[in-house]
Amino acid sequence: MQVKYNDFVIRFANVNGSGSASANGMFAKALFRMGIPVATRNIFPSNIQGLPTWFEVRVSEQGYLGRREGVDIMVAMNAETLVEDVASVSPGGYLLYDNSKPLAKTLRRDDVNEIGIPIATMMLPEFADPKQRSLFKNITYLGALAGLLNIEFDVITGMVATQYKGKDALIAPNIHALELGRNYALQYLQAPLPLQVRRSDAVGDRIMMDGNDAAGLGAVYGGATVCAWYPITPSTSVAESFENHANRLRVDETSGKKKFAIIQVEDELAAIGVVIGAAWNGARAFTATSGPGISLMSEFLGLAYFAEIPAVVWDIQRSGPSTGMPTRTQQGDLIGAAYASHGDTKHPLLFPATPKECFDFATAALDLADRAQTPILVMSDLELGMNDNLSEPLQWDDAVRYDRGKVLDSEALENSEVFGRYLDVDGDGIGYRTLPGTHPDKGAFFTRGTSRDEFAAYTESPEAYERNMQRLELKWQTIRGLVPAAEIDDQKRRVGVLFFGTTALPMPEALDLLHADGIALDSCRVRAFPFGAEVEAFVQEHDLIFVVEQNRDAQMRTLLINELQTAPAKLVPVLYYAGLSISADTIHQQINEYFTANKLSRISEVQS
Amino acid sequence: MTFVAKPKVHHPNLPLNELGLTRRDYEGSVSTLCAGCGHDSVSAAIVQACAELSLPPHRFAKVSGIGCSSKTPSYFLNKSHGFNSVHGRMPSVMTGANLANRELLGIGVSGDGDSASIGLGQFAHIVRRRINMLYLVDNNGTYGLTKGQFSATNDKGSTSKKGAPNLYEPIDLVSMALQIGATFVARSFSGDKTQLVPLIKAALKHKGMAFIDVISPCVAFNNHNGSTKSYEFVREHTQELVNADLIMTHPEVTVDYAEGSREDVSMPDGSTLRLHKLDADYDAHDRVGALNYVQRSQEQGEVVTGLLYVDPDPVECHDIMDTVDQPLNELNEAQLCPGSAALADINASYR
Amino acid sequence: MQSTNVDDPNYFHKVVDCQWACPAHTPVPEYIRLIAEERYTEAYMLNWDSNVFPGVLGRTCDRPCEPACRRVRTEEKPVAICRLKRVAADNKGDVSAYMPAVPTAKNGKRIALIGAGPASLAVARDLLPFGYEVHLFEKDAKGGGFMRSQIPAFRLPEEVLDEEVERILDMGVVCHFGEEIGSMKTLMEQDFDAYFVGTGAPRGRDLELLGRQEVDDYIHIGIDWLSSVAFGHITEISGKVIVMGGGNTAMDCCRTSLRLGAESVKVVVRSAFEVMKASEWEKEDAMREGIPIINNRPPKEFVHENGKLKGVLFECVEPVRGEDGRLRYEPTGEPDEFIEADHVLMAIGQDNHCPWIERDLGIEFDKWDCPVLDEVTLQSDNPKVFFGGDSAFGPENIIWASAHAHRAAISIHLLCQGKDLKADRPPEGVNLLSTKMGVHEWAYDAEHDASARNLVPLVEHTTALTNIKVEVELGFDEALAAQEAQRCLNCDVQTVFAEKLCIECDACVDICPMDCISFVTNDEEPALRQTLTAPAMNTEQALYVSTDLPTGRVMVKDEDVCLHCGLCAERCPTNAWDMQRSVVHVPQLGSFAS
Repeated sequence: MQVKYNDFVIRFANVNGSGSASANGMFAKALFRMGIPVATRNIFPSNIQGLPTWFEVRVSEQGYLGRREGVDIMVAMNAETLVEDVASVSPGGYLLYDNSKPLAKTLRRDDVNEIGIPIATMMLPEFADPKQRSLFKNITYLGALAGLLNIEFDVITGMVATQYKGKDALIAPNIHALELGRNYALQYLQAPLPLQVRRSDAVGDRIMMDGNDAAGLGAVYGGATVCAWYPITPSTSVAESFENHANRLRVDETSGKKKFAIIQVEDELAAIGVVIGAAWNGARAFTATSGPGISLMSEFLGLAYFAEIPAVVWDIQRSGPSTGMPTRTQQGDLIGAAYASHGDTKHPLLFPATPKECFDFATAALDLADRAQTPILVMSDLELGMNDNLSEPLQWDDAVRYDRGKVLDSEALENSEVFGRYLDVDGDGIGYRTLPGTHPDKGAFFTRGTSRDEFAAYTESPEAYERNMQRLELKWQTIRGLVPAAEIDDQKRRVGVLFFGTTALPMPEALDLLHADGIALDSCRVRAFPFGAEVEAFVQEHDLIFVVEQNRDAQMRTLLINELQTAPAKLVPVLYYAGLSISADTIHQQINEYFTANKLSRISEVQS
Repeated sequence: MTFVAKPKVHHPNLPLNELGLTRRDYEGSVSTLCAGCGHDSVSAAIVQACAELSLPPHRFAKVSGIGCSSKTPSYFLNKSHGFNSVHGRMPSVMTGANLANRELLGIGVSGDGDSASIGLGQFAHIVRRRINMLYLVDNNGTYGLTKGQFSATNDKGSTSKKGAPNLYEPIDLVSMALQIGATFVARSFSGDKTQLVPLIKAALKHKGMAFIDVISPCVAFNNHNGSTKSYEFVREHTQELVNADLIMTHPEVTVDYAEGSREDVSMPDGSTLRLHKLDADYDAHDRVGALNYVQRSQEQGEVVTGLLYVDPDPVECHDIMDTVDQPLNELNEAQLCPGSAALADINASYR
Repeated sequence: MQSTNVDDPNYFHKVVDCQWACPAHTPVPEYIRLIAEERYTEAYMLNWDSNVFPGVLGRTCDRPCEPACRRVRTEEKPVAICRLKRVAADNKGDVSAYMPAVPTAKNGKRIALIGAGPASLAVARDLLPFGYEVHLFEKDAKGGGFMRSQIPAFRLPEEVLDEEVERILDMGVVCHFGEEIGSMKTLMEQDFDAYFVGTGAPRGRDLELLGRQEVDDYIHIGIDWLSSVAFGHITEISGKVIVMGGGNTAMDCCRTSLRLGAESVKVVVRSAFEVMKASEWEKEDAMREGIPIINNRPPKEFVHENGKLKGVLFECVEPVRGEDGRLRYEPTGEPDEFIEADHVLMAIGQDNHCPWIERDLGIEFDKWDCPVLDEVTLQSDNPKVFFGGDSAFGPENIIWASAHAHRAAISIHLLCQGKDLKADRPPEGVNLLSTKMGVHEWAYDAEHDASARNLVPLVEHTTALTNIKVEVELGFDEALAAQEAQRCLNCDVQTVFAEKLCIECDACVDICPMDCISFVTNDEEPALRQTLTAPAMNTEQALYVSTDLPTGRVMVKDEDVCLHCGLCAERCPTNAWDMQRSVVHVPQLGSFAS
């Protein structure tokens, strides 16, 4: 039988709260350390303990990081989901299960290779404590997989040693459990399987990190000093990451005191309120939330837009509407975030696609917020935020200085004759601001959500109101040139594909699949809203553009139509919104079908 | 309101404070509130207190929510920045302001609608956080800007201007503040600056959150017979309990209060808070006792005023958070950014 | 402290400082408002009723109103009241229709007025509408008295004076110009019903110093010299001129000398600059024309060569404030100062001088040769003889002459009606009229104008000095007048407090820019003055004290620096404060006729 290396999807089916996450994580990390590209996906319930959870690892020597349909190896450790788990294995795939209890006849499949290991039985003599038995069960199947897939065993044991550093008593039993599993596989099973791994150099200097962790670290690097937040999945770990990193990196050496303030507040309204209050005083401040939080923050976002106060909000999107599927991913908050709040309000959005971009955009968002004096929303999602992703290593240029925007200090005020907070001195729609307490006589003004004139004086003058709204629109145009530009591959083809955020993950694979079908597309990865001139040109210069996104209503497409006055007919939605991340197969299938249905011509020489 | 600007000229003998400024240097723009609004008296009391304390008039952060009360930060300290935020959310904005710059003196003005209804959550939580600020509620028991609906602090049974009774239980912010753990809790009356001004001075010098509930009659909608927030009713039913005086390190004329017992509390900046207790048995450091006293008086239809509770050894939010002494908004790249060398190690830890 | 009786007409009158300070009690704020409304004729007539010579006074008044102006107490310069008065005169229309009717049928009473100066003319104006037959005796050929003889034309053009003098004469005065009364006894033989002496203080003082007799040809008594200039008897003065004296006459003498060709002019004053009698602006005018004022130099000797004046020797002294607060002058020890001079003009004061009044007519004179008079009625010991102007109590000014005239006219009228001159005098009264028009609308410009006093434009310097008839001041044009009028604080619009309406909300206390209003526990006045928001240290200004309020406190308003901006009334929710215009009725015969 021909052995297939480094190319499969493995899914672990577990019970939430059973301690499987650590074993599953070690599995992925071990392959990563062997130089094999992996992408992990945690499919978990809105639950603390007891409901089903899955962990999926895509192993791809070619470096495809998006989700792929089908499961090659199913590690079925949850009785509750056993039926569907067995059913989900691709024909020819493997089902690893605990045969301490035999698999019911009804579940047996001829096209699936069963690998039964009596894990529970093995645990009985080893661990007296039932909880320990349950925990070490996970480590045991990890050991068995090491044998079955030919994982370098010292990579795993090394990881155990690092993970339990300081809790040395746990190292030996863990390694013992690993060995139990591995030995069982080598001794009693046909191991290694024809589907196996081998050391590679496809990872390079990349790191494995989740986007929320990178965002929190980025906020430390970007100079954020105030973070206010309210717990909500899947954003919570952004604030936790900021606190963890800051506790290590942001402590004054002499006094031991903290050079940051993080506060878990009573709700999302308070969180954005704190951010706005801090930013009003010139501190770089941010919060992290998800869709429901954006809804709650909308009033304050409108205030910050109108009163022109910097703010950075991380929206780690999850499936809506309402509470929706709170632990599933989606890109469903685009319109809600872009136009959050009543009246003519709109906010710049940034769309990171990788952990490195989460890190970079953390600083970029703080700079942009200060420069444009307006809230910036960074639109990550659960897929990027909560899963370990391969990422280019993080980079920082020590020569970089934070862009604090147009802030007049005491000296500048002293030398200025006229100060009007909302005067457009530079013609870019952005006025100069002052921070509270700067100067004894000059520069104080009243910040308010009500209409005011160029000198911040309250007015209900129709002319003054209109001038102000027009200036805000001019500022919006300025922002188009300040946001991160799209990444464009333009071969002057007639058809293109436009995507953003985590739809970028399956895109290389999808494009390869399409190319194999004779479909070659130019591509545009949008990285920000408002759309820059390069996006406008891309849209104008292509006859047909597939807009790939993870929501039902094609919200990115709506934004493109709305902001660029594009003919809707040329923007073809490619959608997936069922809560998992969009797969290359989905994209491939929908575009291919469109070509077929509309009898679009394909490139003549198809590589076979 | 009036469109006639208040003349800049002032009394030739107006005293100068230690900064060489007069009280007029602490004023704001002319009020647009109704003539006779208690809130204007409160603003005037703030002006007087800040001037008497010789605080630099530009070193305040004035924050408010929405409503009549929340307009008032425009009417005092116009050398300072003000922020008229959204309804009921003053506490969060003030929290952010204080976290960013701990050196500014925070004055948060709110109303009974702002703090006892839409913003009750934020009110409770800023008490918990102990942000270093003066939290002042202009409490008139009514929604003025929307023309006289009952607010949550209106006493049950009191009537609207048209005579309709209020059917629901009142929320007493003073009791709540005591219960949640505020370290400075006072109640006063806009019509009694003799009591209010020293209370505001003490509050500004208090470390942590100082809460003052100021009953401030609404002349337009809640100053009639049947109202328990009218000038007349409050004057007739006020029981002054503990008046306060802030005595700076240098000698100063102190307010001449009626006889009672006296107690001095040392303040962090070296000044002395002198309590004039009209009931000698009252212990202004007994939180539970204060709560009982306030609630019992309320039951009897009396309005207890004065400095009802003060923690002599308070902590504030920055102590709790253990943040650096320098305001966070002043920290530069060198102090904030760990740099590329640290990042190389961080990258390694993710492989 | 007793609550204030606002029904006392003097209470609110005193608040109108300018009007109170004016001897004639001209309603200054009212006519300034009329000027602001470009109602110049009405403004003029309001003045004319009260002070009789608005055109003259608009140029030459001593302006006791201006130092009294409340603006001075609010750290500013006073409103240019005098110049605004002139604006009314300059821009008025035809006033003939407004003149009081003079009955052709006389009432049978004949009145003699001696001297055609402002006092007599004003008495004539007041009496004529009541049917009196008024005889005016004057030694000169024209009326006006010292307004004509001693005020130089560059300050008061002749046509302005003529107009206002003739307006009165045209009312039917029987004029006896060129008739110098040499004997009161003889005049009294004509059996007039009353006599009014308005002959001024015509004797200029001299100084008996070493050398005085020898240089008599070169020494001139200031007022006589000015008079000779006025009537064209003197048209030039040559060489170096010293003017001795520090009053307004000295200022007129020096400026006139400059215009008549003097080579140089110096004013030498015995006392310090600050205590000179001359008005502030008169000193400024002289100095602006380049005339040095040399102070602290008492004269010692006229130095001459064979009767030809060479100059004057002065002692050098310096002022020292004694323990009693008065200035004394002590020698500095410097050598005496010699100042060259070809002429000396003596302007060191004037005295009453009535040698023509026989001392056996029942008219008593005191040791300064002033008649003994009742201060209210101006009646002398001879019931039919009244005095007014400078001849009454010594040298004053035109506005005092008008004030005296009104009192004397009332007295003469009462005498002729056979009534008691005191008991039957009409009382002073006050009317209060609310100025509230709407929510924020008042019938006067309440807003405080913080701008500085406007300077009056002057004629070009060289032109001014070459012709004695060229008026130096051009006066305000209408635009400047409008600006200056806005500076008036409208002190006659009173803050009137109604205790019954007050809910003690403090709104007025909080808004008052001047900290005038306090709600405090009542006390004796000295203690009360200390307990106010801003201690009321100016005891010349009243405290307005309410009756007891519901809280047991009283409202106390310090009238001292109130801007009458009306903000207390604006902010008062119950209209307990109102801004009410006070119309003070100063008893006057002439105004009753119109």
